[in-house]
Amino acid sequence: MFSVNDGVLKKQMLMGAMGILLISMCVISISWGQVQVPIADTISIVLKNMGITDNINGVEQAQEAVIWHIRMPRVLVGVLTGAALGVSGAVMQGIFSNPLADPGIIGVSGGASFGAVLAVALGLSAQSLYYMPFFALGGALLAVGIALALAMSKGKIPVMVLLLAGITVSMFMGALTSGILTFMNENSIREFLFWTVGGLDYRRWEHVALAVGPISVGTIFLCLMARHINIMVLGEEEARSLGVPVAKLRIILLFVVTLTTATAVCVSGAIGFVGLIVPHIVRLLLGPDHRTLLPASAIAGALFLVTCDLIGRMILPAGEVRVGIVTALLGAPYFLYLLHRLQKGVLR
Amino acid sequence: MAINTIALAVRNMNVAFDEKQVLKDISFTAGKGEFIGIIGPNGAGKSTLLKAMRGLIPSTRGTVLFYNQPTQKLADKQLARIVAYMQQEINVSFGFTALEIVLTGRYPYLGWWKDESKTDYDIARKYMEFTGVSELENVPVQSMSGGQRQRVLLAKVLTQETPLVFLDEPTASLDLLYQEEIFSHCQNICQQGKTVLIVAHDLKLAAKFCTRLILIADGQIVADGLPAEVVTAENLEKTYGLHSAVFVNKVTGNLDIHTYAAATINAKSKMHVIGGGGTAGELLRHFHEKGYHLSIGVLQQGDTDADVADAFGVESIISPAFTAFSAAAITSNAEKIAHADMVVLTNLCFGEQNLANLQAAFHAEKLIIIEDSPIQQRDFTQGIATELYKKLVKQPNVIVETTITFLRR
Repeated sequence: MFSVNDGVLKKQMLMGAMGILLISMCVISISWGQVQVPIADTISIVLKNMGITDNINGVEQAQEAVIWHIRMPRVLVGVLTGAALGVSGAVMQGIFSNPLADPGIIGVSGGASFGAVLAVALGLSAQSLYYMPFFALGGALLAVGIALALAMSKGKIPVMVLLLAGITVSMFMGALTSGILTFMNENSIREFLFWTVGGLDYRRWEHVALAVGPISVGTIFLCLMARHINIMVLGEEEARSLGVPVAKLRIILLFVVTLTTATAVCVSGAIGFVGLIVPHIVRLLLGPDHRTLLPASAIAGALFLVTCDLIGRMILPAGEVRVGIVTALLGAPYFLYLLHRLQKGVLR
Repeated sequence: MAINTIALAVRNMNVAFDEKQVLKDISFTAGKGEFIGIIGPNGAGKSTLLKAMRGLIPSTRGTVLFYNQPTQKLADKQLARIVAYMQQEINVSFGFTALEIVLTGRYPYLGWWKDESKTDYDIARKYMEFTGVSELENVPVQSMSGGQRQRVLLAKVLTQETPLVFLDEPTASLDLLYQEEIFSHCQNICQQGKTVLIVAHDLKLAAKFCTRLILIADGQIVADGLPAEVVTAENLEKTYGLHSAVFVNKVTGNLDIHTYAAATINAKSKMHVIGGGGTAGELLRHFHEKGYHLSIGVLQQGDTDADVADAFGVESIISPAFTAFSAAAITSNAEKIAHADMVVLTNLCFGEQNLANLQAAFHAEKLIIIEDSPIQQRDFTQGIATELYKKLVKQPNVIVETTITFLRR
């Protein structure tokens, strides 16, 4: 027997615990709100609507509607978005071997927002729900493409330059998004909020249907590439000397990360810092091996986002603080703390 | 050593960065089991050569063959199963442990979807034991000392189990002990039939361990051969701009290098030293570095003064050991004394065999006598030498000094 098994067991138990925590948090989040539904009732409503059980006693119709048509899709979109952002962040940090890389920072979110708003402005989103994700993906690819082109020199991508290029592109895309929104109409203020500070309010089953495909496929694919990402962490030359087709793999991974993140942005707007702090905390708990880091970051990202959303709904007695604001309020100080540690050279 | 199999062949390799030619027409072959040190001054193109051979930098012209297969025809993973490459500096981020890093060496052997098997773990652990880092298995590489980290990375390179191993200055910034250790590990694996190419900064270590050295300067091969053929004062001056003495260190038996900044002010002064028994070494070194044209005699064979003279290329008159000086040696000594601008008689001991050296000093036009200890203590001739010496001191044009005052002049 080899001793790594102990480590594997510990990791599996931690992952299992995170999974259970996620499910519990989802149930609490579904039952909690202005219409308070007891946990037991919540569970039976969900089970009934999933077709697992059929009769429920003593539950009002109104309650059932709130649980199944308002809160359930909201939480599921939160789970999908959180998982997408968590895993994408971990992959970005791996392929650039830099703990500060994040899809949002290199322009994915800004580009996706721009694309989605453009679809709305052109009136396409009213025709079919599926125009928007394509536009979001197009915008995200455009933004990442510009950032990469700006940062690329002699076939290499210096991470710091990429981050700066990404920030610039994000700001530019943000300006375009705001510009389009100001020309649209009165309602655009609300839209504007949605695309700059993401949220989970008013998410419906359509949004779940839209996101579940690309995000699941993307997340599973990225998790399967974990061992190759492990090697890429060692740096471009090292990875190439071990036979990893670095340039090709980087482009494929960046594309999948962009697709996954753009889908998330499409259904919940731009939510920052999840991809940055979730992988970092998971790495501290479970170690740097991407084979556990990636799935665990997906679970932890979902857990983090659902929790942040619940907090956002809990702080104000009436109304809510958007989840993008909560993640930023928690994430920004943590990011500064990371920068501080990085300067002292102790970041792992 | 007969070398049958050609492990590596480089033909007319040229590399350019932005129009600037970094490697010019490099060609050489390496046999199986050779331990080749690539040496040369900073910026000569040593690391570039390793990277270009491995295909990490594109070459503008030329071919590289590993075991007769052109590198262009080999796939990424195939190449990684033939050559392992250890780069100068590697930044292991995110707290990967030693075992995790060493296991990455198995990557070229694993299918796209496969995880490492028990065998892969066994191989990784075997090489960690070889380089002595077994106990560090679960320690994050980031928190290791330089020596530990390099040994972990060497284990990783060996775990790749390739017939060719390229190492780019693996000993830079390591303590002396670890430097030797890395080189001796390499020597071991070469004896097992691997071919190692190492970019080395330390010429002495390279000369000690490598079976062959390639000296590169300005992107070209300047010398290629046995360490003693490559590390010569002439080559070092040509490539490093160093003035040096290269000699076999009698204590270690290895090639040793003494370097100094040269002065050419006294190039025309001829100085003859009458010495022996190790009394002249310091003088020779000092005046050679000052640029004097030196000669020394008569010395007995095997005298350390003769070794010093040899290292600096000083002409020495040698006579067989354990017997009185030969007539021929005495004659040539007299000739040298006659032609010298200045003669120095060192603080040497006199016996029956070398009394001729004291007699010869009488013919010097300008004589400096070094007296660090009284002549009576150095006389093993029952007073004959003392008598002569006292007479010599009274001669005109004679100055008596101690080594310290003389060298300080």
